[in-house]
Amino acid sequence: MFSLALKNILFYKGRSITTFILTFISTVFLVLYVSMTDGSHDSMLKNSLKIYGGAIEIYHKDYRDIGGNEYLIQDVKSIESKLSKIDGIKLFSSRYETYGLLSFKDNSTASMVVGINPTKEIELSQLKSALQSGEYLKESSQNCIYLGSGVASKLKVKLGDEVSFIGGASDNSFSADIFVACGIFKTGLFEFDSSATFISRVYFDELMLSKNKASYITIKVEDLDEVDEVNNEIIKVLDSENLESLTWKTLMKTMVEAMEVDSIFGYISLSLFLIVIFFVIMIYGFINVSSRIKEFGVLRCIGLSKRAVFSLLLYEIFILSSLAIILATPIAGYICYYYSINPIVIEGIAQMYQDYGLVSDELPFSFDIFTIFWNICLIFILNLLSVVYPFFYINSFKPIEASRHV
Amino acid sequence: MFRFIIFISIFAQLLFSNEAYEIIKKLDENMRGENISMRLSMRVVSLRHERTMKMQTYSQGTKKSFTKILYPPKDKGITFLSLDNQMWQYVPKIERVIKIPPSMMLQNWMGSDITNDDMVKQSSIVEDYEPRILKKDENIVTIELIPKEDAAVVWGKIIINIDISTYTSVKDIFYDEDGEEIRYFIYEKVKKFGKYYIPTYWRVQSSEKKNNFTEIVLEEVEYDTEISQQYFKKSALKRFSR
Amino acid sequence: MYSLIIKMAWKNSFLRLPRTLLLITMIAVSMSMMIGLQGLYDGMANNMLDKNKRSASGDVSIFAKDYRVQKDIKYRIKNAHAIREELQNIDGVKAVVLRVQVDGLVATARKSSFATICGIDLKSEDKFGRFSKFLKSGEMKFDKRGAVIGLELAKTLKVKVGSKVIFSAQDISGEINSIALRIRGVVQTTNILLDSNAIFVDISRVHKFLGTSSNDVTQIAIMSDNKNLAELLKLKYSSLDVKNFFELQPMMQMMQEIMFIFNSVTFIIVMGVVFIGILGVMYVSILDRIREFGIVLSIGMHYKYIRLQIFLEALFVSFFGYISGAVLGGILLIYLRDYGLDLSAFSDALEMWGYEAVIYGTIKISYFTSTFIAIISASLLSVLIPLRKIKKLNPIEVIKAEK
Repeated sequence: MFSLALKNILFYKGRSITTFILTFISTVFLVLYVSMTDGSHDSMLKNSLKIYGGAIEIYHKDYRDIGGNEYLIQDVKSIESKLSKIDGIKLFSSRYETYGLLSFKDNSTASMVVGINPTKEIELSQLKSALQSGEYLKESSQNCIYLGSGVASKLKVKLGDEVSFIGGASDNSFSADIFVACGIFKTGLFEFDSSATFISRVYFDELMLSKNKASYITIKVEDLDEVDEVNNEIIKVLDSENLESLTWKTLMKTMVEAMEVDSIFGYISLSLFLIVIFFVIMIYGFINVSSRIKEFGVLRCIGLSKRAVFSLLLYEIFILSSLAIILATPIAGYICYYYSINPIVIEGIAQMYQDYGLVSDELPFSFDIFTIFWNICLIFILNLLSVVYPFFYINSFKPIEASRHV
Repeated sequence: MFRFIIFISIFAQLLFSNEAYEIIKKLDENMRGENISMRLSMRVVSLRHERTMKMQTYSQGTKKSFTKILYPPKDKGITFLSLDNQMWQYVPKIERVIKIPPSMMLQNWMGSDITNDDMVKQSSIVEDYEPRILKKDENIVTIELIPKEDAAVVWGKIIINIDISTYTSVKDIFYDEDGEEIRYFIYEKVKKFGKYYIPTYWRVQSSEKKNNFTEIVLEEVEYDTEISQQYFKKSALKRFSR
Repeated sequence: MYSLIIKMAWKNSFLRLPRTLLLITMIAVSMSMMIGLQGLYDGMANNMLDKNKRSASGDVSIFAKDYRVQKDIKYRIKNAHAIREELQNIDGVKAVVLRVQVDGLVATARKSSFATICGIDLKSEDKFGRFSKFLKSGEMKFDKRGAVIGLELAKTLKVKVGSKVIFSAQDISGEINSIALRIRGVVQTTNILLDSNAIFVDISRVHKFLGTSSNDVTQIAIMSDNKNLAELLKLKYSSLDVKNFFELQPMMQMMQEIMFIFNSVTFIIVMGVVFIGILGVMYVSILDRIREFGIVLSIGMHYKYIRLQIFLEALFVSFFGYISGAVLGGILLIYLRDYGLDLSAFSDALEMWGYEAVIYGTIKISYFTSTFIAIISASLLSVLIPLRKIKKLNPIEVIKAEK
């Protein structure tokens, strides 16, 4: 039966070639499309993680909902020593966030002032690369303040100006100081740029009485795909009712949801393409079968069962699809792989976003064997399904009638 | 006859509400006199911290007040001035006068359970509320204060218990719009200064966070003295800081 | 002669009925899905654009210089009435609204949050952008200290219709004023800035609150179908900050461009595949009858008549495909327009990005005309290759061949 199928394929070249090409195209297309969507979602995520968010963040319970000094992490050192024993964590650092009033001359604005460890933040966030003018912070930069571009323009501050700060220290007592504008940054996140400012923790802790305290600890993991495993490990190690360790999936819930919606729309469009291609493959199969009605009639007459006829058709499409997919997979796989390493750069976007700072113009693909595998399976199943109607069509003829069919 | 009864009851109600108003007004007078200067110490207690501050305040009527921090040394010399609805602060460490913007008005004043807004809008209890006597129990009169429709106050109502032998409050309870208790003030140790009575121990307690409270002890009180008008000018912030 | 050809073409089109029906179904399904998708995407984009225009910027907005950076009432337009008068006399200007906005703090007994109070005139806003349609709950009324609050802000403050809030801000003399407002309604504009920050009250109340005159505004928004209005106004009011919609919302423009590219790519791919489908069917149907054509040619019928007949066959099939596609697509579009696609499961994210949880489609005539052109041309193109085969035909050989 297999050899008969093979002969048929070779005999009906037109149908074979079209089916082969269509299967090939749809496989490559599907794999690339899915890989591109996944890839761009990944990069969106990574970008926003890169700018300021952490893959995992540890909070005191209720800090995120209620906030305030009552819910600060109190013993950062002991947590940090626990974290350093966990595999899969690349780097971590604590941040101390507080809201205060910044003023310069007649202008004042409420700002989120954050005490950071400048060296670690180079790796953890993009604060340094977001530098617009002046310079980034150092551990020793004392009362230097690193201002978001929006904050700077609201206050009308230039580099070197003295900005006064009033706010509350970690024990709720009053605190005030003069900071010197050393650097201005722009990340492209509008809200962030117009409210956030940074100061080296060494200095800020003295002012806020916040040594060994933190609003939260931000953690960068070795492999983002293993974030859940690492997080479980952290929760186990922390072993504290008062602390919560959350992954980006919780921290950036709306973004994750938005991506899901985007995927849904992607799949809707994709199913359109697949249905059209499915139809065409079916039509070609159908045309092919209908031109062979006589042949099938003869086959049935010489004693072939309906099942055998069906398996003959299946064999044909199986061989054709397999060939196309075997050829398509490495090609599509390679393209995905290539673009996952060398992302496509969209020139226009870079220009358009000049003003927006760090928003990336790279469009990387994702390369994931499992995803590629299920894509291929989908195409394969669709192809196999495409012989169902043609089969019923030829079955509607009686063998004798069919053998005389013109 | 019937008509007469209605008349009487309306009249009684008028009298009644007038009485409530009178009580509130007397209470308010006791709390501020013509003018008042106080030295007070404030202890702020929260779950993790406890701090004590000492300060001197001068106020005249409802619109003008001046406060200077005396203790702790870290904050010594910080001055506050409120005129009408505006509030300024001078911080010697940074040598700046800062105007407190509206966004900071509802923040806690110096980390206490009192907001900046409480500091500025001391007058509102008489002007912004409709008082009604709920019950009288010997010397203690319980008055319900419902904010007037157009009054810019956040509370749904305030219930105050007033000792009418001295016209001082014993306990004020603040409720939100749904009638849930938010915080309360307790006043104790009433002393007489000249013709005025004032409690010298106040405690502000958040109803939800039982461990957070602020205690105020009035150490020195002087009524109706000659307070120099110099205190109620912006230049005073810096001048009287030392 | 021609009527004969038409008759023959018609008969031949449906000679192999299952095959033709399959082709028609393919065209119908792919076309209806495609225009459904386009309608949905366009609907989404238009909805966002439309709501942004209606709730905030209009087609063109005028601010005082520096207002958009400083967001301070100091930077305001001081002769709003005169400008409105002038604007209303310009061709194509449909509606003009004046607004006063000021940032401050809104508080309840339990919570406080940054907020923007927006003084608007309900009547002209309704004419401008049917503002009342944004109402989510409660009623759209500003009397008795009434205010209408953005949905997200209401969630943050945990207030509902009937709650009282206190708004505080600095007036023009720098004094901090507070005002009590009674929440009468909650609006969802899906303009995230408004939904999470805005409290709408009557413009005269804001003027009283700030101490400004009715001539003072922070924004003048204009609805207009005059495409050059922004350029015109930029020249006319060079001392003010005139911005058109896309200048205020560059992301929207980008989104629209991306949608357009995406829709075009979808269109080309789908039509390409449809073309391959028609090609296959036409090719086979001609090959089937190649002997027939050979006979016809050998008895002296001109090639051009055969060509015409085949073109007509292709046209008939694709036309039927188009008609059924148009009907199916039309039904789908009407459904999407009236009932929409319900994505409530992701409502948080959608609202965050300025979409509604239920996405409604739009219907444009161009969906039908462009697919019509595409399908007809695809069908005509698809017979060119088979026709070449016939042209090269040697009639005698064909008749002899097979059977």
